[in-house]
Amino acid sequence: MATAVHLDGITKRFPGVIANDDVDLSVERGTVHALLGENGAGKTTLMNVLYGLYHPTEGRVVIDDEERTFESPRDAIDAGVGMIHQHFMLVDPMTVTENITLGNEPTKWGNLAVDRDAAREAVVELSEKYGFDVDPDARVEDISVGEQQRVEILKALYRGADILILDEPTAVLTPQEVEELFDVFEELTEQGKTIIFISHKLGEAMRAADDITVLRDGKNVGTVAAEETTREDLANLMVGREVLLDIEKPPTETGETVLSVSDLAVDDDRGVRAVNDVSFDVKAGEVFGIAGVDGNGQSQLIEAVTGLRKLKRGSIVFDGEDVTKRPRRERIESGMAYIPEDRQERGLVMDFDLVENAILGSQHSPEFESNGRIDWESTRGHAEDIIEKYDVRPPNPEAISESLSGGNQQKFIVGREFERDPSLVVAAHPTRGVDVGSIEFIHEQLLELRSRGVAILLISSKLDEVQGLSDRLGVMYEGDIIDVVDPTDTTEEELGLLMAGQHPDEHDDAPTPDVDGVATGGENR
Amino acid sequence: MSAGDRARDVLARLVDASATERILISLASLVLAIAVGTVLILVAGRMTTCSAQSAVYYFNVGFCYDPVLVFDRLFLGALGDPFRGGWSPDGQFSIAMRETTLLIFTGLSVAMAFRAGIFNIGTQGQMIVGGLAAALGTLWASPFLSGTVGTLVLVPFGILVGAVFGGLYGMIPGLLKAYAEANEVITTIMLNFIAGGVTLYLVSDVFKDPNSPANQTVPLPDYAQFPAVLFGSRQDFSLYALLFGVVMLFALYYVLEHTSFGYDVRTSGIQPEAAEYGGVDAAKTIVSSFALSGALGGVAGALYVTMVIGKFQAGVPAYGFDGITVSILAGNNPLGVGFAALLFGVLKSGTTVVQFATDVPPQLVGVLRGLIILFVAMPEFFRLIGRRLLPEEDKSRAVATDGGERIADSRASSDGPSDGGVSGGEDE
Amino acid sequence: MSEENTTTLFGRDLGGFSSRAPAVAVAVGGLLAIFLFGLIFPESIAGTLTDILTSEGTLSSALRLSVPIALAALGGIFAEKSGVINIGLEGLLIISAFTAIYVTDITGGVWVGFAGGVVASVLLALLFAVVVIEFRADQIIAGLAVWLIALGLAPFASQVIYGRPNSPSVDTPGTITIPVLSDIPFFGALFDASPTVYLMFLAVGLSWYVLNRTTFGRWVRASGENPKALDTAGVNVSRIRYAAVLLSGVLAGMGGAALSLDLGQFTGNGPTMVNGKGFIAIVAYLFGNYNPVGAFFSTLLFAGLDAMQTVLQLQGIGLPRQLIRIIPFVMVIIVLAFVGRTRIPAAAGEHYDTGDDNR
Repeated sequence: MATAVHLDGITKRFPGVIANDDVDLSVERGTVHALLGENGAGKTTLMNVLYGLYHPTEGRVVIDDEERTFESPRDAIDAGVGMIHQHFMLVDPMTVTENITLGNEPTKWGNLAVDRDAAREAVVELSEKYGFDVDPDARVEDISVGEQQRVEILKALYRGADILILDEPTAVLTPQEVEELFDVFEELTEQGKTIIFISHKLGEAMRAADDITVLRDGKNVGTVAAEETTREDLANLMVGREVLLDIEKPPTETGETVLSVSDLAVDDDRGVRAVNDVSFDVKAGEVFGIAGVDGNGQSQLIEAVTGLRKLKRGSIVFDGEDVTKRPRRERIESGMAYIPEDRQERGLVMDFDLVENAILGSQHSPEFESNGRIDWESTRGHAEDIIEKYDVRPPNPEAISESLSGGNQQKFIVGREFERDPSLVVAAHPTRGVDVGSIEFIHEQLLELRSRGVAILLISSKLDEVQGLSDRLGVMYEGDIIDVVDPTDTTEEELGLLMAGQHPDEHDDAPTPDVDGVATGGENR
Repeated sequence: MSAGDRARDVLARLVDASATERILISLASLVLAIAVGTVLILVAGRMTTCSAQSAVYYFNVGFCYDPVLVFDRLFLGALGDPFRGGWSPDGQFSIAMRETTLLIFTGLSVAMAFRAGIFNIGTQGQMIVGGLAAALGTLWASPFLSGTVGTLVLVPFGILVGAVFGGLYGMIPGLLKAYAEANEVITTIMLNFIAGGVTLYLVSDVFKDPNSPANQTVPLPDYAQFPAVLFGSRQDFSLYALLFGVVMLFALYYVLEHTSFGYDVRTSGIQPEAAEYGGVDAAKTIVSSFALSGALGGVAGALYVTMVIGKFQAGVPAYGFDGITVSILAGNNPLGVGFAALLFGVLKSGTTVVQFATDVPPQLVGVLRGLIILFVAMPEFFRLIGRRLLPEEDKSRAVATDGGERIADSRASSDGPSDGGVSGGEDE
Repeated sequence: MSEENTTTLFGRDLGGFSSRAPAVAVAVGGLLAIFLFGLIFPESIAGTLTDILTSEGTLSSALRLSVPIALAALGGIFAEKSGVINIGLEGLLIISAFTAIYVTDITGGVWVGFAGGVVASVLLALLFAVVVIEFRADQIIAGLAVWLIALGLAPFASQVIYGRPNSPSVDTPGTITIPVLSDIPFFGALFDASPTVYLMFLAVGLSWYVLNRTTFGRWVRASGENPKALDTAGVNVSRIRYAAVLLSGVLAGMGGAALSLDLGQFTGNGPTMVNGKGFIAIVAYLFGNYNPVGAFFSTLLFAGLDAMQTVLQLQGIGLPRQLIRIIPFVMVIIVLAFVGRTRIPAAAGEHYDTGDDNR
């Protein structure tokens, strides 16, 4: 077999960071190659180099035995490389055909008009060739995410791609769509295409790839054939050390019900039902975790609970009071803390300094405001306290939030919310993008709150985190909490199955579970 | 914290890096506009004809217009020539102050809205409505009072009425934006036309002064107008009004920076999602910001009526639009509005001086105004020049903007469990 | 800081317009109601209104009033569809209105003057494009600046050249009368009009075609909806935006030149003879949901109201002139508030960076 892609000693430096460090990678023609690694391991950077988005600081890119220098993606496209980004590059109000042919429209009358029939025909032909089921005349905004992904793949194929790079292609897909995608992979490789896909999920890589290359801290730590390896080996390669995320969780007494959600139905931004009649309680001194593949309604659920999204149905009782119709501000004031999913959109005002951000949400609380006037001196003290206790760097309250690294932004938000003296903490991915030391600290603080009788609603895509911290664990799938389990006597496999929408006892007659949903931080078996 | 520390702290906050840059950009824009204006004057001076004696010569080329003279008149003449003997606060200087006073209010009106993330092009309309309301309200109340007592009551009353009606008129686009998601740029432009049309109808018909051919109300009695101090009463300027304006500059600064309302306003202005997260009621903030903005515009209208023309007359000069210019030049900072209003007050006063002293068309000032705004709108241009001039800075900027943490982070945070991409985020 | 503020602010929601169908339904319904009422009671005000509505003179003057607005609106569509909100259309109209008269005056050729007006508008549009695309200026503020500059520059130039803000009279393009067709009642006005009216019809049709049927039009739309998608498809987003903004300069320039040449004079007092037409044009294309044909009809609606207002006044109808004049503005607000919204291009108002590290 011929080598389709050969990356030779690729190093990519950014100011202060080495994203790729002397990485070699060889991909055989007609195979599926998985690029596996933790968040921040340098996978996407490496692929951006291959796609011409970045110049490598050092190293060579060889395509079909020919060394190439890509000035821009245009050159990569010309060399037969196509990339499907995690965020689809599609023009929503345009049709499937218009999107696929964008930039390379067939024309007639000497370029005076787009030949729409020819374009449509080309798209139909292409999708038939690879067995894709897409409606060439549908508007992209009207089709499902899985279909949009197929449009992206067709777009690359239309431009003559022989090598397809997919960045985290399964992150947004339902398990069925993931299966369909892997079928597409097979179809494509049978026709001689080469596929490289980025993933941080072991199970997926094992299931779909012929070969797996593991990146860690920007280095290639090994390439193995999928058939000859085990999950354990891969996990060791990825993490490279025993990850001591053993969470010691002292038993606590649970108290009264703090949060009671019943029959909650919520729509997403597009008006599609995202949460379906969900009910659960969280008691004082308890961590109620919600596990699930991203995009199964968790975001909408917590936004409804915290007052950022309108409900379609159902009720929310908080501390014995029905807060269903209460605005966000009243929920904050009655003791609901919230670590939001998106720290740069919601959690912090990026142009404000830390002093100003320290009172986001409590700008009307008597602690910092009297008669409409904000007491900036005590606010500043408060910011300094958070910075010190949560080790926010640089320890400068006047630093503009935007100038902080993501991990430090997160620590500041966590600190601010934890110091609110809440009776309920809604924590969405509280340790995302945070270094290991801080993860442990945040976990400790969370458990400390729990022991003080605070109720905690935890959502995380890191399975080890929700499993380790939660007293009870709900699994969310397609807008439903399909089961609530005791995390201590449930295995990861069982959880994985639940997250794919199957109950473990149905295992035998179900297709192979492939969505392990296991964030890589936690391969600590 | 001692008072000195605090003062230094305030100063540091005022003149932080971005504020310094702002000020530099505003100054550079002014200089650049004057430079382009100079070229324009010279070119125009070549296009027109004049006698050889009256021409000025630069580099042996004769020009009919002399830019030095023009800018001398525009800035110094506008202030009544403070560096020549016999300067008096009456005359041109007081006109500059009068214009400054009005521009302070319209500038604050626009700045207030801007800080809430709202583009209020409707200050002009709010000013017109406030002005007419102030005139009618004062006319209604004036028979009940007279003399000094009349002034003490009627002037504040007129301002109050102007503020209330300006505020109510400002609330219309606010409500439309908050509850019907109607874009305020469009609605306020429409409301300007409507305010102009309706008030024109009212003063040409219902409230028309029967003794005048012009479309105007009957004049306010003297005791219902702003008293002049220090300055001659002919100048239509009152120091009290200017002081009131200066107080309002600081008041709005205080409201924005030191109150929870101001915090809500600023937060929704720059990051509405974060404001929502922080419990700010977006709709309420929009409506109240718009009302406050409109009220400031209304005060400008009231001042125009009670201080400048002593009645309401159709065809109010475009102070509202000038307010946009003032606010943009000031970076929407209330204290900056003071300086920008002074600059444009001088320019407006200078317009008439230029007209008298030179043959250069006074519309030049309008061009300068446009140029200043254009340059202020493109800070990137000045950064580019700055980088050329200071290659050292180039490097540090490259670090800050290139690749690095922000990109990596925004990906990591918005994409969930994605590869950190450039992977700058995890390097603590 | 402020520049970022305003970017987010306009990036956030310059939304707020109605989809075309209900708006048109309301307008057409209203007109029909008046029409029917007028037919039944010819002596009533509605009867007079019907007379006016169906008079050839109304259509003819509505068409004439439409020309600058419709052409500027077409220009606005191209710019905004590509992601650049061009609020400076008013300024482009002003500068071209003056230049067209000036060039006609010195050359004696009406169409040479027309071309001169277009060139002036394109140059100003180029300045706007450079400032917005190259130097990443806030589009709204830069657009305002373009308006203010032209608002000062045109009367300034007139004053320098003619010694007063109003120009002397020059030749007009006259009218083209198509025999037979121009005798058709009412619609005859369509065939007895200034060449600029025909030019407008041509421009409306061509604009629709370019936007919907050519690759360029498709790239313009993609550039305003998802520039990154266009970029990764190998098309240079900046180049498309430059082209679109310059095209808006061409179209607005035609509008401004037509405005002044049809009257044979430039008037530069106060808000100049353009007097808000550029802003009405923005409303017109939003009303028309970015469709050139829709924009044309909403322009015709506004211009028709304006024309009616003049006729009404001549006939001495009761309603005060000043109040009739504000009807279109009130209508815009009502439609904005009570009828849905137009979807504006997703990336309109936002600067686009390629975001790679190769430059």
